[in-house]
Amino acid sequence: MSTITLTEVSRHYASATVLNSVSLTALEAHVLALLGPSGSGKSTILRLIAGLEPLDAGEIRIGEKRVSAPGFTLPAEARRVGMVFQDYALFPHLTAATNVAFGLDRLPRAEREELALRWLDRVGLGKRAHAFPHELSGGEQQRVALARALAPQPRAILLDEPFSGLDPVLRAELRDVTLNAVRETKTTTLFVTHDAEEALMVADRLAILQAGRLLQEAAPRYAYDHPASPEAAAALGPVNMFVGRVQNGAVTTPFGDVAAPGLAEGSNARVVVRAEAIALTPGRNARIADVRPHGANDLVRIEADGVIWDALTPARTQLGERTNAVLQPAGSFVFSAPSP
Amino acid sequence: MNPVAVAAACATLICASPALAVFAFALSGEAPSFGGALLRDGAIGTFSLIAAGGGGAIMLGAAAAWLVSLCRFPGRAVFEWLLVVPLAAPSYVLAYAYASLTWAGGAIDFPVAGFWGAAFIYAVGLYPYVYLAARAAFASQSVCALEAARTLGAKPWALFRRVALPLARPGIVAGGALALMEIAADYGAAQHFGLTTLSTAVFRAWYAHGEPVAALQIASVLLLAALVFLVIERRARGRAAYAGGSTRWRPLPRYDLPPLAQAAAVIFCVALVTFGAFLPLAWLARLALLYGGLGDVAQPLINSLLLAGTGAVVTLVLAAAIAASARRGKMIGKAALFAAAMGYAAPGAVIALGALSLFGLAREVGWIGGLGGALALCALIWAYAARFASAGAGPIDAGLARLSNSLDASARTLGAGPLKRLMRVDMPIAGPSLAAGALILFVEILKELPATLILRPFDFDTLSVIAYSYASDERLLQAAAPSLLIFLAGLAPILVLSHGITRARAGARAGAAATA
Repeated sequence: MSTITLTEVSRHYASATVLNSVSLTALEAHVLALLGPSGSGKSTILRLIAGLEPLDAGEIRIGEKRVSAPGFTLPAEARRVGMVFQDYALFPHLTAATNVAFGLDRLPRAEREELALRWLDRVGLGKRAHAFPHELSGGEQQRVALARALAPQPRAILLDEPFSGLDPVLRAELRDVTLNAVRETKTTTLFVTHDAEEALMVADRLAILQAGRLLQEAAPRYAYDHPASPEAAAALGPVNMFVGRVQNGAVTTPFGDVAAPGLAEGSNARVVVRAEAIALTPGRNARIADVRPHGANDLVRIEADGVIWDALTPARTQLGERTNAVLQPAGSFVFSAPSP
Repeated sequence: MNPVAVAAACATLICASPALAVFAFALSGEAPSFGGALLRDGAIGTFSLIAAGGGGAIMLGAAAAWLVSLCRFPGRAVFEWLLVVPLAAPSYVLAYAYASLTWAGGAIDFPVAGFWGAAFIYAVGLYPYVYLAARAAFASQSVCALEAARTLGAKPWALFRRVALPLARPGIVAGGALALMEIAADYGAAQHFGLTTLSTAVFRAWYAHGEPVAALQIASVLLLAALVFLVIERRARGRAAYAGGSTRWRPLPRYDLPPLAQAAAVIFCVALVTFGAFLPLAWLARLALLYGGLGDVAQPLINSLLLAGTGAVVTLVLAAAIAASARRGKMIGKAALFAAAMGYAAPGAVIALGALSLFGLAREVGWIGGLGGALALCALIWAYAARFASAGAGPIDAGLARLSNSLDASARTLGAGPLKRLMRVDMPIAGPSLAAGALILFVEILKELPATLILRPFDFDTLSVIAYSYASDERLLQAAAPSLLIFLAGLAPILVLSHGITRARAGARAGAAATA
């Protein structure tokens, strides 16, 4: 198990910059989630760490050892970094057990087979050891891929959207199987996802990426409560945005004031309010423009002065009703904005 | 330039030059009239055989494909691959078998001879081309479209006519074009039944009339016709690729036929397999056992094996270069693919004539001496490579397609170096395709008749050559043993490949395993 350090890593393809000076640390025996929309460069980070691609600037270290730098790429086969691919990439001509045993060459045959079976047991597939990949369901294939990547005791494991092809129930179940396995083995884990809820729930640390840049790296709770930028805030859930001016230490929005500590009086500011940080109380300031059930909450669109915001609230409201909005400080943020 | 690109460039040259030479020499030569009366008679003969034999093959093949894909009747699963077996025998072997079978004093007193005899042999021998393509088209059809039609009340016949057939039409056209290509290229069967076709006209102009220019001109018309079929086939196959529906695998819904129709379906399938393969095979085996001496065929057999083995290896290397460069999307790869397809469409006689003309030119310039011995064998291998590189490139490409980037990447993250990846991942996955390609090439070369007749060194007999020369002397009893050996060799790739056909649909084997 090792800490993985990326220092100002950049990667360009023919005309596009995929990664722009990204610095990250995946701490030993922790789970780091890379969150971002498609095209944000999160899968490229995994491929660079695995040694499947060269980088154009910066460096990557696994433990103390430098594995990637411009003009130098330690080959993937020499890195001992396990990877679970989005399409699982099981070898179609090998059984589940021989797939898992593939990376265990250094062991004597008997030990290798026993270890492979033990790993399949561990992910709950002991009975399917002799099935071929095409005989396994999607969830079973994912488990084999996980066991195969963990069996050689890699220094870290990289998971590339490992649950994206699965239905929600199976997805939750496999997430637990996977996390238990990496936590028990204390394996350094990097985990790519575009699902904010999944990232918040699963990770010890969270790295939010957009268009090849790192927006924020923090503990999940901290990232949610203290976003580094409006974009970082938006990456973790639905938000409302408003541009205004700081007056008397606060910015006034149609739905209420938001304190702006540390911003100069009279400067431009961007207000970001999480949908779940808006509470509805009796009053007449705003009008309910739309109501949709959203689990325990309702997703309510409220309108005031021609501005429409989204609120996620347990209050039950009627279309056309009048209401007051209360912006809770824990989910309301102000960032400085350039002068227009 | 990398070695693969260089090899692909060589492959392009090797495949394209004989066919191009035919066009060039045909246009540059001087003759009183283009092709003469032979061209006219040959064209009439070829096109009427295409209409009769090709039409029959298309109807039989499409009907068989529909039955096994969309209906349920006893033995359906067995017929699914048995129906491919007639592909094993080249037309001339079927012709010799039926000629001896229906001969005066033969087992059946109904002459299979002349125009209708040839048409019959093409229909029962070549329908598998249509069957395979149509079956693939039916199998890849969106189950949803078929099920929707059934919920709208379509009965089997209406379902076939209004939904399945239109969806499968591109596949039927593609398979039909291949069958027509084979009919146009056939020399042995047409010659045995005494018909004048473009293929036999080429030989007659060259050998009987001693008019090489006329032969080249007829060959160029034949080549043109073959290229038309090739274009039809390619375009239809391109459309067939879009016709496929959902990617999720589900068992096709099948109709339970009424008892009488079930019996008719079984009889139909049994008749196809019997006339296309088992009857001639059994008859040839009987004759060979009764009258064939091993001494007669020993040397030709050895020659055939050596020639087909060498030819297969050379062609496989070319085919691998073509497939690898085409997969990388290089221009040279596409050019090579087209050149190989052109060679495959061209009848053996045309390719041989082209190669012969080029060697003739080289001799006039003084680069080489006479075309004998080793040099003739080189010319023959060249002709085989030009003719069959495309047949080898297909399976190799299929093998390369199975090697996804993430498989390679995942082997690397598991610590596998280049050698281990080649031995443990690439070879096991692509290896069977390579082996299948080699087997197909070996058998195609073994079966090849017209090019071998034209280019073989003096006194160098192969199985196909002695089968032909015995048959043309009306010594059909002696022709039986070499014909049987060619037939049996042809069975090998059929058995290997049809094993794969039932697995062609993803998940088909998983279902089988689950029920086992």
